[in-house]
Amino acid sequence: MADYLDVDARPILRAGGEPFSAIMAAVGRLQEGQGLRLYAPFKPVPLFTVMADKGFAHSASELGGGEWEVLFTPVGAKPETTPIAASNSPFAAWPEPVVELDNRDLDPPEPMVRILAAAEKLGPGETLSSLLRREPVFLFPQLEKRGFRWLGGFRPDGATYELTVRAPS
Amino acid sequence: MIGGSISRWTMTYFAAALTWLLAALALMVAGIGHPAADLAAPDTLVLVHVVCIGWLSVAMCGALFQFVPVLVAQPLFGERWVLPALVLLTAGLVSLLAGFMALGARLPSAPWLLPLGALLLVAGFGLVVVDLGLTAWRRPTGPARFVLVGLASLCATAAFGAVFAFALAGWAGRMGDAVLARGIPLHAIVGLGGWLTLTAMGVSYRLLSMFMLAPDVEDRKSRLTLAAGALAVAATVGGGAIAIGLELGLNIVLSIAALFGLACAALYGRDIAAIFRTRKRRHLELNMRMAMLSFASLAATGLMGTALVSTRTLPLHLGAFAFLAAFGWLSGLVLAKLYKIVAFLTWLETYGPVMGRAPTPRVQDLVAESRATKWFAIYYVSVWMGTLALLAAEPGAFRIAAAAMMIGVVGIVHEIIRIRRLEDVASTLRLPAGAVAPHLLFAKT
Repeated sequence: MADYLDVDARPILRAGGEPFSAIMAAVGRLQEGQGLRLYAPFKPVPLFTVMADKGFAHSASELGGGEWEVLFTPVGAKPETTPIAASNSPFAAWPEPVVELDNRDLDPPEPMVRILAAAEKLGPGETLSSLLRREPVFLFPQLEKRGFRWLGGFRPDGATYELTVRAPS
Repeated sequence: MIGGSISRWTMTYFAAALTWLLAALALMVAGIGHPAADLAAPDTLVLVHVVCIGWLSVAMCGALFQFVPVLVAQPLFGERWVLPALVLLTAGLVSLLAGFMALGARLPSAPWLLPLGALLLVAGFGLVVVDLGLTAWRRPTGPARFVLVGLASLCATAAFGAVFAFALAGWAGRMGDAVLARGIPLHAIVGLGGWLTLTAMGVSYRLLSMFMLAPDVEDRKSRLTLAAGALAVAATVGGGAIAIGLELGLNIVLSIAALFGLACAALYGRDIAAIFRTRKRRHLELNMRMAMLSFASLAATGLMGTALVSTRTLPLHLGAFAFLAAFGWLSGLVLAKLYKIVAFLTWLETYGPVMGRAPTPRVQDLVAESRATKWFAIYYVSVWMGTLALLAAEPGAFRIAAAAMMIGVVGIVHEIIRIRRLEDVASTLRLPAGAVAPHLLFAKT
């Protein structure tokens, strides 16, 4: 039975923070043969490649409410690599939002219109953030078609959804 | 693929459903089926199945293919099953109706038509149930649970129907004949009450809170509402099957189901009232005002059922009771929501790709509510008049009410086509550079 170090990325992301450095710091603290147990408010697919490069296999299970538990288990010897440049990794720190929108009291679908209008004005790699009442399910396909990336989740009170959108760089 | 993508064939389902609704109204205006004929007469069976399968079930399936992925924020399990399901449902319904017409000697006798129709319908609904069920199962919370219970009820309804079809063809043996002789109320209750009503309730929770900016109904409360509804369905199916198998009376079973059903309707009323009370958007759009008339019709259906049972006149007025449930509550709600859903999906399909890059109209710029209001008003008033005509056993007055309903529905359909064709959008905004006009019958994206 492997021993795992727990990292909960949910509060970091909820507070608008960047979990990559915390996760990498934890990976650096792991004992020989020890794995990492990560809790995240979404399935952290980009991290799987990063961890695979570091010699970890992953197994992800959904906890409900869109949250995930992922077990990273070391497979064989860790290949000794240079630290991945944060700017190239999919979990690299996103820059501070250049636009902050509060769309909580707008009639739907006005929040979507405003977010797309603001997103179109972002420079390459820039981000915007928005507060919403609910998960903007109809917005996501539009963002995806335009090549934007996004991170989002409800605050612990469940009444406010925080969304960060990043323009393609 | 993401949960909020536009469902390609939802408009096709809506168009097919509205065509069947117009066909049903034409039958009523022509005086075919109840009240001119007996409730169990073949002509009435034609009318009832055009309404419940052709209109209500097809419209509901079209809406669910769009909204179940939204409810669970997951893509639809099998997008490519959607159109084949509609083809199977349409072919099955046509075959079933031909079978009923043969029973009534309107067509040459062909006993195989009913079983064929039943098999095609079971195949079509089977695709729908598997596709939507597996999608909803990915995140079975809140409204998605109503859909799951609704789909289970659809399975039970279709199973009863298939046994009836084989029994009418003489292929179901003694047990099948026993089910046919006594199971019809169970088939009707599980279909109208379980499949159509519980599903409409579930979807309405999310649509109402979404469009009125209200917090979602607490899980604890909606779960209680669903539990009452699910117990009504379970009592009907389970208790009914046992009663038929043991050759006992159905009255106790139906009374228990009615009590659970009333409790479910009352709890639903409480939940909907809470959504209206806590809404942030004070102004109510037309679809919400019209939905309120269908909630009133649901309440009236409950009161009428209670009154008819307590005066022991339910068997006499079953037609009026079912008519108000089907046209006041379910059809009224579906028409009101169709009006909004078509406008929203058309707006999203046409302007989503250019939003933020060019000026685009608002959703409300696609509709002309003041013009549409009168068609909805005509529809609801004539439904209530029709109910009174049925209670008073006045077939002539009923046909006049049906003709007025037809006028209302033709007006609403005309408005929906105008929405789809962007005819009410100011010409300067209609098609900004990069936007593509939508097709009337399906989504291009």
